[in-house]
Amino acid sequence: MVVEDELPAVYGHKLSTVVPGSVTGETIVYELANIDLVMKLHYLRSVYYFKANEIIDNLTIQDLKGPMFPWLDVYHPVSGRIRRTDNGRPYVKCNDCGVRIVETKCGVTLEEWLEIKDSSRWRQLVPEKVLGPDLQFSPLVFVQFTRFKCGGMAIGFSWSHVLGDAITAANFIHLWAQLLSGGSPKCQPIHKHETKTEKTLIKSPTSLELLSVKQVELVGDSWLSLNNSKMATYSFQITEAKIRQIQAKESSKVSSFEIISALIWQCLAKIRKDKEPTLVTICKNDPSVKRSGLFSNVQKIGTVVSDFFPSKVAISKLASMIAKQQVIETKIIEDLVEKESGTPDFIIYGANLTFIDMEGVPLYELELKDQKPIHVDFSIDGVGDEGAVLVLQCPQKTYGNGESGGKMVMLILPEDQISPLREALESASGIA
Amino acid sequence: MPAAPLPEFSSSVKLKYVKLGYQYLVNNFLTFLLVPFMAVLAVELVRLGPDEIITLWRSLHLDLVEILCMAFLIVFVSTVYFMSRPRPVYLVDYACFKPPNTCRVPFATFMEHTRLIYSDPKSVQFQTRILERSGLGEETCLPPANHYIPPNPTMEASRAEAQFVIFSAIDDLIKKTGVKPKDIDILVVNCSLFSPTPSLSAMIVNKYKLRSNIRSFNLSGMGCSAGLLSIDLARDLLQVHSNSNALVISTEIITPNFYSGNQRAMLLPNCLFRMGAAAILLSNRPREARRAKYRLVHVVRTHKGADDRAYRCIYEEEDAEGYSGISLSKDLMAIAGEALKSNITTIGPLVLPVSEQLLFFFTLVGRKLINMKWKPYIPDFKLAFEHFCIHAGGRAVIDELQKNLQLSPEHVEASRMTLHRFGNTSSSSLWYELSYIESKGRMRRGDRVWQIGFGSGFKCNSAVWKCIRTIKTPVDGPWADCIHRYPVHIPEVVKL
Repeated sequence: MVVEDELPAVYGHKLSTVVPGSVTGETIVYELANIDLVMKLHYLRSVYYFKANEIIDNLTIQDLKGPMFPWLDVYHPVSGRIRRTDNGRPYVKCNDCGVRIVETKCGVTLEEWLEIKDSSRWRQLVPEKVLGPDLQFSPLVFVQFTRFKCGGMAIGFSWSHVLGDAITAANFIHLWAQLLSGGSPKCQPIHKHETKTEKTLIKSPTSLELLSVKQVELVGDSWLSLNNSKMATYSFQITEAKIRQIQAKESSKVSSFEIISALIWQCLAKIRKDKEPTLVTICKNDPSVKRSGLFSNVQKIGTVVSDFFPSKVAISKLASMIAKQQVIETKIIEDLVEKESGTPDFIIYGANLTFIDMEGVPLYELELKDQKPIHVDFSIDGVGDEGAVLVLQCPQKTYGNGESGGKMVMLILPEDQISPLREALESASGIA
Repeated sequence: MPAAPLPEFSSSVKLKYVKLGYQYLVNNFLTFLLVPFMAVLAVELVRLGPDEIITLWRSLHLDLVEILCMAFLIVFVSTVYFMSRPRPVYLVDYACFKPPNTCRVPFATFMEHTRLIYSDPKSVQFQTRILERSGLGEETCLPPANHYIPPNPTMEASRAEAQFVIFSAIDDLIKKTGVKPKDIDILVVNCSLFSPTPSLSAMIVNKYKLRSNIRSFNLSGMGCSAGLLSIDLARDLLQVHSNSNALVISTEIITPNFYSGNQRAMLLPNCLFRMGAAAILLSNRPREARRAKYRLVHVVRTHKGADDRAYRCIYEEEDAEGYSGISLSKDLMAIAGEALKSNITTIGPLVLPVSEQLLFFFTLVGRKLINMKWKPYIPDFKLAFEHFCIHAGGRAVIDELQKNLQLSPEHVEASRMTLHRFGNTSSSSLWYELSYIESKGRMRRGDRVWQIGFGSGFKCNSAVWKCIRTIKTPVDGPWADCIHRYPVHIPEVVKL
């Protein structure tokens, strides 16, 4: 049950900016690829919690900001700002404007905070900003440092999906942690996208319907699409044991992501009686995919169509559909954006019910001077009305009383669907 | 068509040679007089022959007493002469604070912060225009407190900045010169806008454990020209105290002086002032003469405060909303021009060669007696100095002085590049400029340097130094890692 108490206040907000240590240059720009522009209305928000101990508590703000200067030298597009060409196509001008840093304090201890059952608690620990309405002056990345009473720290990162996918963001944050712990930055190339010179002739897209992407009303310079229903988040853990139990019950040999997605798909279908989602989008973040540079959106986006109502289909069947029948649409999406010169506005997450596999995103490997986070909250803003489900890594040692291992699931759904879904999952499999 | 300009060219070339000839003649007039005289004397002596000279000598009937008296008189007069000369003051070495890149403020960041801090869009627009035309670069630095939105000027942060900049500069100076803190006899600190108790000089005494009988002075409120005032004070003290070292610190602390209001006249300092500090070691010890870089030749101070307009042209006050800031009046450049003229009138006779002084004198007499319409003669200071360090107060100041003194772009390059790389660091900017000239390998033994500082009051101060040993590159200083990139072209307007 969601605790109705007021969330403890996070106070004392101090804003500042960190810039790259060296001058990037006057005319350096970072071109945004077509797939980047499709993702532009989404934002990745993550909060890393570090336990109170001498090392973490002795890190001053200077210690935290110091490594950021060489860090931003490597990732200089992150310090830039969005501009538009004469055609209206957005790009990033690398003008060294910088990353916004927020310092805050919290009136409760870290332990008390992590016991709060309200799943939107993470919203207080990471800035909820989006790009726009002044695109020229909107930072692409925010970092928030929150100190808890009696020690401990939460680091909130807000990342604009237009720059790259979750693995790009994770690598970005990891480099900072490495520099903080005394490493030295390796010079890596920023990806130079092959621009319009390489044009693949596409047949008219109407013959091949693009299912995973929804074109939304033009948002102009305010890069957030408006939802019809109020979205809320809820996260819970599914232990390893439980996953095996469900797999055994459904006698299915699919992976944990597929079985969890199938389970939630069916339960949601039952809740959304009139508008059962027969079409879902599947996104996979694979860390082993070869990347050509520091920034890329190379997640695999595909769709699965169920011919029958999912509420009536067995979970194992749904799971195998997810495993096999994905139509990968990544290339088609790029071509569509190319054709439209990047001007229409799209959303991917939430265009249909979206299941995002983030098991490969290394959330718990962020090491600050050998200290790993004890918990990570991860969410996405800018998700459409159909909602999204994230399947994330779990810490090796779960914080609190839970059993270790398994997966964390983050639900991003319209507010009124969360409680019924939880009840359904509880009754179906004893989770949530 | 090409025929027409040619006569002009040839006539100007002829004029140049005439001018050169005139200068050689007048400046070496005494030599020209003396040479024929000595020649005649030598011829006469040779003609007379040694015997006749001895006879001439004997006829003077000088006995031992008279010879001794004459010798004694000569020794006495020369002793009085040497004792009454001012003690030479040497600049052993100096060090400038190099701001770390963690304090860097690019244009884009400054503009974004300005938009977030100021409620009035006109203030934002005004500051954007100022910054575009300011001549500053992308590497100037502000203290950590000013990176916050809005800036966080606590006393603790101001002290932290003061300690950071001053101690860095002094540590560098100690490393360069090897001077021991216990050997410092005189300490002069100037910082106009931050004056805590205990003073900044006490802070330095505390940190470096200076002697208990140190003569320390803390000058505050004296504006951007206070660096040369400190040098003047140190010089006067070094006349009184023999065999002494003087440490002079020039700085401006930015943290407490952020202006948050919307008065345009008070927004300029926010855009131009940046972190900086310089530590200078002066000495009158004879053995320092061997390793010192410069000798102080003149210091000329001009104070126009008696004139109300000049007094109020840089004025610290509170605006209608209660925010305090420094208001710059619109006649600032005109007043600066007048102050410079006064200063030149005093320094001219001290440094200009006789040729220029005569020309100036005759033109002055001519204007008074013959025809008022004659243009006043502007002496050519390029004949008196090899290098110019003009206070990098802003692009307008440097442009104005370049015009008034008829200097070439090379002469003002040090000032412009200092403004670009470090911004307006107030009283320490002259030392960054001197370091630029040295880092470029242009400073040779015998070169004369003119440092001109302007500041509230309104004051115009000049110092003249003579280089006593050629300074070899590479020079360890604030320009060490970037001198190869300079000079850069600074556009009229930077598009933000």
